[in-house]
Amino acid sequence: MTELVLQALWSGILTGSSYALIALGLALVFGTMNVINLAHGELVLLAAYVAYTCESAWGASPLLAIPAAIVIVCIATALTYGLVGRIRRDRELNSLLLTYGIGIMLTNGILLIWKADIRSTKSAWLQDAIVFGPLYSMRSELLFFAVSAALIAGLWWWLTRTWAGRAVRAVASNRDAAQLMGIDPHRVEFVSFLVAGLLAAFAGAAIFSVGVIQPGLGISLTIKAFIITVLAGMGSVPGLLVGALLLGLTESLTTTFFSSALQELAGMVLFLVVLFVLPNGLFGTRWRRAH
Amino acid sequence: MAARIAASFAFAVAAYALVPFAFSGNLYLMSMIVAALTIGGIALAWALLGNLGGLVSFGHAAFFGVGSYASALLVMKAGWPIGISLLAGGACAALAAVLMLPALRLRGPYFALAVLAYAHIFRIVATEWKGLTNGAGGIGNIPRFPVVLGYDFSSKTGAYWIVLSLVLAFALIYAGIRRSHLGLALRAMHDSEDATRAVGVNSTLAKASMLFLSAFMTGMMGAFNAHYINFLEPDYAFSGLWTMLPIVAAIFGGYRTITGPLIGAVVVYLLDQLVFKAMMPIGHQIVLGALLGAMILFAPQGLQSIFARRLPRLRMTSASGDA
Repeated sequence: MTELVLQALWSGILTGSSYALIALGLALVFGTMNVINLAHGELVLLAAYVAYTCESAWGASPLLAIPAAIVIVCIATALTYGLVGRIRRDRELNSLLLTYGIGIMLTNGILLIWKADIRSTKSAWLQDAIVFGPLYSMRSELLFFAVSAALIAGLWWWLTRTWAGRAVRAVASNRDAAQLMGIDPHRVEFVSFLVAGLLAAFAGAAIFSVGVIQPGLGISLTIKAFIITVLAGMGSVPGLLVGALLLGLTESLTTTFFSSALQELAGMVLFLVVLFVLPNGLFGTRWRRAH
Repeated sequence: MAARIAASFAFAVAAYALVPFAFSGNLYLMSMIVAALTIGGIALAWALLGNLGGLVSFGHAAFFGVGSYASALLVMKAGWPIGISLLAGGACAALAAVLMLPALRLRGPYFALAVLAYAHIFRIVATEWKGLTNGAGGIGNIPRFPVVLGYDFSSKTGAYWIVLSLVLAFALIYAGIRRSHLGLALRAMHDSEDATRAVGVNSTLAKASMLFLSAFMTGMMGAFNAHYINFLEPDYAFSGLWTMLPIVAAIFGGYRTITGPLIGAVVVYLLDQLVFKAMMPIGHQIVLGALLGAMILFAPQGLQSIFARRLPRLRMTSASGDA
């Protein structure tokens, strides 16, 4: 029993690390631009399909596909930024509808190019079991856990120690004041979109390497990222990390003790509980509530 | 005023009599029109919530699905008559909206996403609650519309009349609310919610009532569709399409008007099914996504605003005689 719980916790932490990458990208864009990118999950999925193509067409490891995924996803996020930036009136809600439309285009574009079949990696090397005492995992899970941890550490370093990162935080906390300090908010927004794309590219490669992908997955990835931000209260990077781990743990514990079909539902229940009990999230900031 | 009544009457005659007369021989086209009106009804309900309630929802599929399952199950398991079950389907969808009330405390973009997550929950519950819904296996042989006064409403034309009546009733209710005190309060909230609260309007209640009404209408459309299609499964009843098509339709036609979502639904759905689907059997909704994006960028008030902007200019040029 203890081993089962430990195993579930271990898997949950490994899954949570990819969720963290997706949620961080969503939160970064929301922080600087006040835009929730509803196509974010689809961008992650696009990266996953790029990894699939590299593996199935050229026999390359999904890891080697990451540079290509970064290029393609960053082009897509740059285009998204360009379009969202053109919205003049009522940007908060219109950007939701616009990115929803972009999400539909991406989902159907993926459907057109890669068809509706479910895909997963065929690399035996990635799927090898790695054992630590009682804890089992696939090599791909460990690998991408390390990659995610490194990326998150890098992001933290970038946000706190570089001028570009400080500019991002400045625009997120007070756009007008940041502008008065000589920061160009448009450039910062663009940079945050690109960084979100970069994180999405890695997350996509991770999702393809550790699990299965199909065209409808995008929207549920967006929802997961959103649930994490609700859990966190969308204030800080640590809050998001805790939220991502919580979601990963909830899902893996549900899979272990109930059924994998209920896995998504468990995440939703977690989301509802937080919404009812702690409407400002676990690490609440003041501005999410309307009043 | 008399001219408007005459125009409305002429429209009603055309809608009720001419459309079936002209197309009832073509069952395929007739079923397309019924489906387009179903989308139109949801689009109207979505636009009501967006325009009057100021809330953008990405989860109307939840209301549609709940309404369709509720009506089908009430008729099949509890033996309710189909007319009553349509209303009950709407009521159950409104009940589902009660569960969404905590989300009303969230600001605009958060509400939109919370409802998207809710829609996901309902779909999973419908799939997993096998005792009630038969899960992914679905429900077949849902009773058709009955024969009333010697006319068989299970025919395509009968279904057309039912859905048309529902949609027109929704439009009248919408127009009535817009003209009422509640409508005035809601319009004021659109300009400044704080100022409206300050003069004593319970803004949360007003918004919640729009959410319930929108859910009720969408649930009724779902209930209608269940008895029209006679088959339900969770992936169909709770499909994201029931959210996406109405949104594209309402934005295309202009979600701040009453006729806009209906015209938008007919145009968008028929174009999608008859033109885009013929060109690309899978992935044809890519065009709808592009259409939605283009409308938001270039004409966020919808197609009608483009015409409204053009028309005065045309009149002026014709009045001046040349150019």
